[in-house]
Amino acid sequence: MTRGFQTQASGSGHYRNLALVGLAGVLIAIVALGTDNAFLLSLAGYTCGFALFALSVNMILGGVGEVPLGQCVFFGVGAYVPAIAMSRWGLPFEVGVAMGMAAAAVLAFAIGWLTRGLTGAYFSIVTWGLTGVAMVVALNLDITGGPLGLFGFSRLAVGPFNLTDPRVYFLVASITLLVVLIFLAHVRTSRFGHALESIRQSPHLAQSLGISVPLEKLKILVLSAPVAALGGALVLPYTQIVTPEVLSVMRTVEAMLAVLIGGTALLYGPVLGAVIFTVLPQMMDFDANVKMLVFSLLVIFVMIVVPGGLHQAIGMLRPARKSRVEA
Amino acid sequence: MELLFQTVMNGLVLGSGYALVAVGLTLIFGTLHIVNFAHGAFFALGAYVSVQLQSFGLPYLVVLPLAVVVVAIIGVLIEVLVVRTALYDRPEHGSIIVTFALSQAVVAGLVLLVGPDPLPVRSMFSQISLSAFGLFLSAQRLFIVVITLLVLGIFGWWLKRSVRGQQLLAVSQNPRGAYYSGINVPMIRMLSFLLGVSAAGLAGGLLAPIISASPTMGDAYVIVAFTVVILGGLGSISGALVGALIIGLANAFFETYVSVSWTPALGWILVIFVLLLRPEGLMGQKDLNRH
Amino acid sequence: MTALAVNAENVRKHYGGVTALKGVDLKVPEGSIYGLIGPNGAGKSTMLDVLCGIVTPSGGCVDVLGMDVTRLSAAQVARRGVGRTFQRTATFGASTVEENLRMASYGAMRHAVWDRILRSPLYRADIASFVQRCEEVLEICGLASVRHEKASSLAYGTQRKLAVAIMLMNEPRIIFLDEPVAGMNNSETGEFVKLVRSIVKGRTVVIVEHDMAAISALCDEVLVMVDGRGVVNDAPERALRHPEVVSAYLGGDDEGVDDAA
Repeated sequence: MTRGFQTQASGSGHYRNLALVGLAGVLIAIVALGTDNAFLLSLAGYTCGFALFALSVNMILGGVGEVPLGQCVFFGVGAYVPAIAMSRWGLPFEVGVAMGMAAAAVLAFAIGWLTRGLTGAYFSIVTWGLTGVAMVVALNLDITGGPLGLFGFSRLAVGPFNLTDPRVYFLVASITLLVVLIFLAHVRTSRFGHALESIRQSPHLAQSLGISVPLEKLKILVLSAPVAALGGALVLPYTQIVTPEVLSVMRTVEAMLAVLIGGTALLYGPVLGAVIFTVLPQMMDFDANVKMLVFSLLVIFVMIVVPGGLHQAIGMLRPARKSRVEA
Repeated sequence: MELLFQTVMNGLVLGSGYALVAVGLTLIFGTLHIVNFAHGAFFALGAYVSVQLQSFGLPYLVVLPLAVVVVAIIGVLIEVLVVRTALYDRPEHGSIIVTFALSQAVVAGLVLLVGPDPLPVRSMFSQISLSAFGLFLSAQRLFIVVITLLVLGIFGWWLKRSVRGQQLLAVSQNPRGAYYSGINVPMIRMLSFLLGVSAAGLAGGLLAPIISASPTMGDAYVIVAFTVVILGGLGSISGALVGALIIGLANAFFETYVSVSWTPALGWILVIFVLLLRPEGLMGQKDLNRH
Repeated sequence: MTALAVNAENVRKHYGGVTALKGVDLKVPEGSIYGLIGPNGAGKSTMLDVLCGIVTPSGGCVDVLGMDVTRLSAAQVARRGVGRTFQRTATFGASTVEENLRMASYGAMRHAVWDRILRSPLYRADIASFVQRCEEVLEICGLASVRHEKASSLAYGTQRKLAVAIMLMNEPRIIFLDEPVAGMNNSETGEFVKLVRSIVKGRTVVIVEHDMAAISALCDEVLVMVDGRGVVNDAPERALRHPEVVSAYLGGDDEGVDDAA
């Protein structure tokens, strides 16, 4: 389960990355041009938004090994702020999205600072609690539309691109996802990314090497929030409504399931998981509770047998390594 | 004045309900280092098993202990099948995810089995209402408080005075040391898990006559239980008791004098406040979040 | 008077009812190899934690490399030239040896995000010096042949060497080794002694140990701690024959000089 290791010497890594980006571009083109089905295209767009949220969860889970149950707060803020900006203040969608991302970052800083002494269970539970507070706030304030939420958005568009057109929606969402992926790939191989990986593997050792564990954790939290918020904004064209449910911890659980299925170690694992998570239910037209039951049991299965997700599952199919290497 | 006393009584009743659930939760965390997000599921199961047993025509006072036994048996199954394989000695985030998934599976399963609508449980105490000094209290609520005090009292005595109880404490403080002292650690862990979830099941059976059994009843209760446990400090039983009392009273007062709709947020605000000043909770031990 | 890499006076530490350190003085001359020895429970590990800034003492003053470590966090202390290894060998198990060294050089690098994006001279210098240092460290620690192996798949002795390599990447000026040869057989110990000698140049090394052979072979000077106090401070041969030391070792836990059966 090794991460991408880049030194000045690995030119091959460079070409591989370009090839991957090219492949992604081809996939996007195939989906965008290969179908006229409005529902499928919108769903694909939604999947990109959800994938962004899953990515943000993995920035924490796969990044530093904490369980960010509260991540849905940023997702919800990313959905609510543009909605409020459009409905109450008459601002364009793009501005609302930018505001949402900024608000999420500020909120992340506050939450990160508040929980800077907490790790493990404490961190997860407290952030979970904050989602409860956020939901109560959303339910009771007028500006958020109360329990009914906000809907009927005037103009969902980014510049000249009208997001109510499913194909345009998908293109914008998928290209945004791609850009974020490239950005995150860059972070992973940076000095900061290596610091995070060392914290994930051994906080004690990382500290003895001069890495300030609380500071780096705060940094990644603040970085993950706008990604989640962006995801929240990008599901608006699909859902057409924002309700307090968007802040529910269940959103984080869904995202974690996607992350686990795809594998936390791979950068694009969450994207894989998000696709599976949104595509599979479409193929199974079952009762919502059956789906929940199946998915929950799936999570338990995954965690017991292949905690590393698909990536580990595939690795387990390869022949075993030779053991105990001497130097 | 009556309102004040009534509110205090409500707070105490709420507090006892929370206490049972919270003590179970903190026991499991303290001994097993597992954050049992599935705790609410056992709470709900306690209520649902009560419904089922009652449909066989058994009286409430028989149904209650039987329900606890059934929940305990389910707990054993879960412990052996899931907890042992997936959770012991594994990183913490695994337990959070798995127990969360477990709770969702139980909720979904319950909805599929018995439907989403609340089901009532009848208790002979529900119809009786006591009144003294101008206060009204349903006998069921008094029953809850009495049973809770009784059970927790016996449990506390057992922890301090019995061999097994001492062993349990030893395992929670130092599993390796306990192992080397010849204590049967797997058995103690099973026992802790059992006791913890049985307490939740008992709470479910006790509260069912008041709030009725519904599939998501566990979610709301376990959330409050978590605030109680954090307030009191993860792993501290006395902390859970104090926390339950505080939160029960706080919720009652807030509901009566301030606003009902903002009440769910109150517990968390209290927790955040306490954590800012004292990261280990009111009575928790320091460094519980570093292994 | 040589400069002191470590100047600790009257260091005290209590935890609740237990007093781990009862007023320890430690003065380590710069550039020396110094031993901190004593039986189990003597307080060596606690002293080490204090010196590295992991634990704040209850009293006394502690100066390491001229800085007051009681006021700094462990990470800050590490950034300012203090390196250490751990009793329970700590490596980044899921990563390869090379990746371990990359992660270990966080402190030695200076560039920021924009430097990397713009490929600035600072970034390029950082990477170049990393590559060079990586080769040097791999060579010194004899890890060149396993550079692409996953750390958790390495044999125990090799993991130990990796732990030293990791520490070296951070370019420490003082090195604390916590029970480095515990669990090693004679030949491994000998190899390790050679390794330590080769990394000393210009640095100060403090070894916490109870293996007598390794101590005598390496250290210029030792401080023997018994029961939270410093008992004798001298060259190894003389210190180990001190009556209090002898009785502490024979009377108490018999550590066993030789781990090999």
